[in-house]
Amino acid sequence: MTELERAKELGQAALATLEANRRRIDDLNVYPVPDGDTGTNLTLTARAIMEVLDASTAEDRATLAKELTRAALMGARGNSGVIFSQILRGAAEALGEAGLLDAATIRRAFRAASDAAYRAVRRPVEGTMLSVIRELAEEAEDPRNAALEPAALLKKLIERGEDALARTPDQLEVLREAGVVDAGGAGLLEIVRGVSAALSGEPIPDAPAVDAHEAGFDAVHQELSEFRYCTVFVIEGEGLDAETLEGQLDELGDSLLVVGDATALKIHVHTDEPGRALAFGTALGTIEGVEIANMHTQTQQRSERILESVPDPGLTLETGVVAVVPGAGNRRLFESYGAAKVIEGGQTMNPSTADIVAAIQATPATEVLVLPNNSNVILSAEQAAKLVDKHVRVIPSRSVPAGLAAIVRYLPSLSAEENEAAMLEALDQVATGEVTVASRDVELDGVEVRKGAWLGLADGAAVASSADFDEVACAVAEKLLGDGREVLTLLTGEDEPDLVNFLRRLQELHPAVELDVQPGGQPHYPLLLSAE
Amino acid sequence: MQQGHLTEQSELGAIRIAPDAIAQIVGHTAAECYGVVGMAGKGLTRLLTRDKLTQGIDVSSTDDGLRVDLHVVVEYGLNLAEVAATVRSRVAYELERLTGLRVAAVEVHIEDVRRSA
Repeated sequence: MTELERAKELGQAALATLEANRRRIDDLNVYPVPDGDTGTNLTLTARAIMEVLDASTAEDRATLAKELTRAALMGARGNSGVIFSQILRGAAEALGEAGLLDAATIRRAFRAASDAAYRAVRRPVEGTMLSVIRELAEEAEDPRNAALEPAALLKKLIERGEDALARTPDQLEVLREAGVVDAGGAGLLEIVRGVSAALSGEPIPDAPAVDAHEAGFDAVHQELSEFRYCTVFVIEGEGLDAETLEGQLDELGDSLLVVGDATALKIHVHTDEPGRALAFGTALGTIEGVEIANMHTQTQQRSERILESVPDPGLTLETGVVAVVPGAGNRRLFESYGAAKVIEGGQTMNPSTADIVAAIQATPATEVLVLPNNSNVILSAEQAAKLVDKHVRVIPSRSVPAGLAAIVRYLPSLSAEENEAAMLEALDQVATGEVTVASRDVELDGVEVRKGAWLGLADGAAVASSADFDEVACAVAEKLLGDGREVLTLLTGEDEPDLVNFLRRLQELHPAVELDVQPGGQPHYPLLLSAE
Repeated sequence: MQQGHLTEQSELGAIRIAPDAIAQIVGHTAAECYGVVGMAGKGLTRLLTRDKLTQGIDVSSTDDGLRVDLHVVVEYGLNLAEVAATVRSRVAYELERLTGLRVAAVEVHIEDVRRSA
């Protein structure tokens, strides 16, 4: 087999594994921009390289390495494609100089690839393709692997690569938030897998089934691109003027790129009118290599695929949360923070112990935290805890905003004990207040209260009562913000008060305070407040 | 209103963001973009803002939103068009995510190509 045939065989195998994993890698893509095209970009880059290889007549390794480098540079698509082109360039330099494709050459190739990749960026970001190639190079140079033959060495590298990839969410926050591993790193690993299979004469490995943990729920909530069609084509002609064309195409959309020379220009534009973009091309010369992709469909299909892979509620969480909450808005808030079961209830409508037992049992977790969110519900929650065979901890939250402050800290992947500690800490730090309507004449904590007047409470104690809502709400807010707290959350009730004047006064008095107003929909309390 | 600040209106009042704050965001983002090995300041700015992260970055406000011009140096041997496209999309994405301001244009000027040792 000639060098060229060998290179083609390895390249074909790498391309085949990429193609097989293309969709899965697209779904992982949240960095550097969540546009879901990393798998596609890497595949297109690899295809461009293979096209050049297929047409090549190179007779020696050095010429082949030069051709590969150039093909990767020209064919690079997207950020991952550019990084891969640099990795390939480094590797090709080392391979081009080598006499034999032995283990020592592979070691040098990975080292050169990693060094070349790192050279081309001012501030390398860990948890990306870069950290994966660096770890592959480290593993290749590990003295423990010194005696390995090429096939065995590559297997070892794949193991290390899998490990490095699994750690990318620990290194890069956007990955952790979206619950995914790095897409570019995953693509790089598939390329190495393909080469390894070809080298040891094994069949191309099957693409793994999409793991629900890899395609996280949050990855769905990524924005759509403003324009619909990603349009790419080449114009061939004479005396082509890139600048004039750029001016014309600029009107049609964004992400415009016009590169090339007077005889051939490559165009890339995101637009709603691909037809007009092509018409500008045909006016100047002949067009070729037209690719139009509907990005909205791509993004939408990706969202659908990700939603499909979200674990159904039958699966077990490490820790689940049951919350007792009044009002539709509050229910949504608690659900958005991950409450598995929300029981409608609160002041004057306490749920029964049986209701709470049922909710705990319906929660798909072996350990359950209960947020009663009302002092009268704490006791029933504690009774319910004793009646079930699950391990239950009751977090003694006495109001809805306090419960909200607690559930914000909830992380399903942590143990019940860790969650409990975080929630108790949140309860300790939060100050909560209510504004309600007095149901009778009374004197409370030294405050004179008239039936039908507004009554404001802070941490359970009356602070003001008056016919003027703004005055009462301000007094409560003042009290809550007194200890240097900076974030004020407001939950408006079923009877939504007019907050305009109150908010204006708050802003004047506390310009630095961060305000968050949410429709809670709870009865009896037109306004619930919490400060942290 | 302070001069030159970028303003976003909200129900509770205006939010003003200094161009330098925007330039800082752009600088941090650009430095992490693959292929970008430096920023190219021009003339006097280059002397005055040496080594600063915001070198080579111009921020201005237009009727359609923010306009950002970046003058970058790219590693030799990379596909310049693709590097520029990544810089453009990543800067626009991060700016909109972090400031909430509408980004009308991100112009990437590749001023130089450098071959690293």
